[in-house]
Amino acid sequence: MIIALIYSIADSLSGAYEDRWSGAPGEEESNILMQYMSSNDLIFVVLAVSLIIWSVLAFYLIRVDKKISSLEKQFTEK
Amino acid sequence: MSVWKYLLIAFVTIIISAAFLVNIPRIAILEETARNLVFHVPMWFTMFACFAAGMVYSIKYLSTENPNDDLKAETASMIGVIFGICGLLTGMVWARFTWGAWWTFAEPKMNLSAIALLIYVAYFILRSAFDDEQLRARLSAVYNIFAASTVPFLLYVIPRQLPSLHPGADGNPAFSDMTAVELRVVFYPAIIAFFLLAYWIGNLRYRYRRIHAKLESQQLEF
Repeated sequence: MIIALIYSIADSLSGAYEDRWSGAPGEEESNILMQYMSSNDLIFVVLAVSLIIWSVLAFYLIRVDKKISSLEKQFTEK
Repeated sequence: MSVWKYLLIAFVTIIISAAFLVNIPRIAILEETARNLVFHVPMWFTMFACFAAGMVYSIKYLSTENPNDDLKAETASMIGVIFGICGLLTGMVWARFTWGAWWTFAEPKMNLSAIALLIYVAYFILRSAFDDEQLRARLSAVYNIFAASTVPFLLYVIPRQLPSLHPGADGNPAFSDMTAVELRVVFYPAIIAFFLLAYWIGNLRYRYRRIHAKLESQQLEF
């Protein structure tokens, strides 16, 4: 509640700006990758999010695997 | 790290991409959520495989008394529970937007799968109750065999006798009658991919636990 209230007050600043975020180009004038990502009801955005999560998890699995391997090596050397 | 793990990462990446990109026929109510088939169902299949592996290692422990077999059984059951929780949570989200409720006690497959997971939670509580390693290993092996043998009844036999919205139950066609070929092409490899992923995660936990056990026995010697 309180956070929402603070946010709504803080957000009053946005009244000074345009309705459209002027920094971002429209879909038609952006590059081909951005046009592609904006197509098909934005399904590719969900795909990108899922792949980011999966790649971070996979990266973490690789790291843990390597750490355990090095620990195993230390134990066999002793 | 062996090559198959990198191949598996590429494989899962392809599966996830394919699940989003294949063209699927539109079915009312289901709409795009039909794609969940590729993620939700393999969670359960992986859980079954893990529990089955856990049972095999428990039986093996009882005949060999090798503590490593007990460790393998525990690890397999733990990874099974993790995948089961994923299956339950993904099922709840799916149910909310197709059946209209997060949870319903009229749905046998939901309730019975939750019970199956609780039986496995009891397995880990049982394990934590013993200080004597041999006693713990032997009793939990016996319990694990019981726990695994309830799973097919709770998740296949009983739900098929009861009216249900879940596919594969009385009054609702099973997978084979309604799944589009395009989705099957992604679905079958997805099962293999998640099996291998579960094996990898379980393997990591098993190796970590073994180092842990070695460290403990070394500390006792000092």
